[in-house]
Amino acid sequence: MNIPKQPISQKVLKYLLTILIVAASIWSASGLEVTPERFFEAPSKIWILITAMFPLDLSSEAIERIVPKVGESLFIAWAGTVIGALFSFPISFLAANNVTFNVLNRFTKQILNIIRAFPELILAFVFLPITGLGPLTGTLAVGIHSIGTLGKLSSEVIEGIDEGPLEAIKASGGSKISELLFGVIPQVMPTVVSYWLYRFEINLRASAVLGVVGAGGVGAELINQLRFRDFPRAGTVLVVTIAMVLIVDTISAAIRKRIIKGRDIKV
Amino acid sequence: MMINIPKKPKPSLLSVLGYPFAFLFSIYSFFQIGFNLEDFRRNLQNRRLVTDPLFDPKWEWAVENATAALIETIQIAILASILGCFIALPLSFYASRATNQTTITYYIYKSFLNFIRTIPDLFWAMLFTVAVGLGPFAGVLALIMFSMAIMGKLLSETIDSIDLGPLEAAKSSGAKHNQAVFSSALPQILPNFTAYFLYIFELCIRASVILGLVGAGGVGRIIETQRIFLRFDRISPIIVLILFAVIAIEQFSVWLRRKIL
Repeated sequence: MNIPKQPISQKVLKYLLTILIVAASIWSASGLEVTPERFFEAPSKIWILITAMFPLDLSSEAIERIVPKVGESLFIAWAGTVIGALFSFPISFLAANNVTFNVLNRFTKQILNIIRAFPELILAFVFLPITGLGPLTGTLAVGIHSIGTLGKLSSEVIEGIDEGPLEAIKASGGSKISELLFGVIPQVMPTVVSYWLYRFEINLRASAVLGVVGAGGVGAELINQLRFRDFPRAGTVLVVTIAMVLIVDTISAAIRKRIIKGRDIKV
Repeated sequence: MMINIPKKPKPSLLSVLGYPFAFLFSIYSFFQIGFNLEDFRRNLQNRRLVTDPLFDPKWEWAVENATAALIETIQIAILASILGCFIALPLSFYASRATNQTTITYYIYKSFLNFIRTIPDLFWAMLFTVAVGLGPFAGVLALIMFSMAIMGKLLSETIDSIDLGPLEAAKSSGAKHNQAVFSSALPQILPNFTAYFLYIFELCIRASVILGLVGAGGVGRIIETQRIFLRFDRISPIIVLILFAVIAIEQFSVWLRRKIL
């Protein structure tokens, strides 16, 4: 039987990639003093930490402290997403190459790239002396980072629209504004809104972390409890955070699915 | 001539309740955050404290002190993304309906991956610094969890939508389940795996920058110590160095993606 052979160039590429991956791992592991023994020891050490957290600290005092902090993270994430959505929406039109002229959309895209390059935490501690300790700093950091990511995603959605409806509007005498209002926006809105919700899910995790630098939210609570070696309470913080993230994720994913799929309409 | 224009459908319950709720919740959130224009204006007068040193970068200091830490950051990201993605590869076959017919194990693996994904990367880093001690090893473990969770989700969803024909063909010619998966499901998802791997590697590079804020190694450690002393003149060149490194690595990854895929 004649089985076709793998082409030689593919074989070479395969071996080169394997060598690259192995060499990169060895280089990294040696620089970090990471040894196999440490990996084998890690699970037992983690198990000690997990057992120290149980039973959880469910006293009313702990709950009263932790739940508002988790709520604060939720508000930061939502308000940050609202800021991101409101500002990114007009900007995404400027960044789309089928709406504006070439120089303008390239320039806007570069600005969005630069905004996106800064992690929320870095933005947060640059704002910290200006806006003060507290959730406002976190909201601004999350919001500005969201403008970058949402602007990029939305402008890509706008670039991918069907040009037919635009032509129809132009043919029946519509202006450029009515093209945008009745041709572009109805087409992109479902995808864009689902991106907003998706961003909200990501921002929720980001805002939980922001407390580490004092920008509000549940992160400060976790790092303090871990520092004071109060493991049962740290466990409570983790469990409440995980529960909130899971609930929000589930609801948001259901809404996104419904928005993208649409509703059955009888004609 | 009568034109029969179809009626506009009634708004659905979701939009009737959803939009007002979203609007009110937004207002409530801003209220909760305590957005106060007066305080904001007063604080804004402090801005020179940040902006002046931010635009007066101390380049020599940064190059001298941050280069080693920056390399450490990149090493953490490389090691963690490679290990995390390759651990996730077998897991995602168990977390997909197409290759795992046992309902119980499917739900166990699926919810395990979902559970890992709910914990933010820096929370993992904090937990691991407590468990295994301060230093880059905690950062590596944290990013392994981070990349494993993302790869598990993306890849198991890809496996859900593979072509089941080759799998059936392998089974009908006598292959056991594992052999069939290895010979006919794995080659189908390898291109996606490579693409996701490069994407996760980029995410890990960005995530590893901030690991040092909680003592999990990398360049974040230096940023954190300078931040406490408000030495923004030392932080700004480090941030620029990080930006250059991130952009260079992204370009490399884009180039590699084009070569492979």
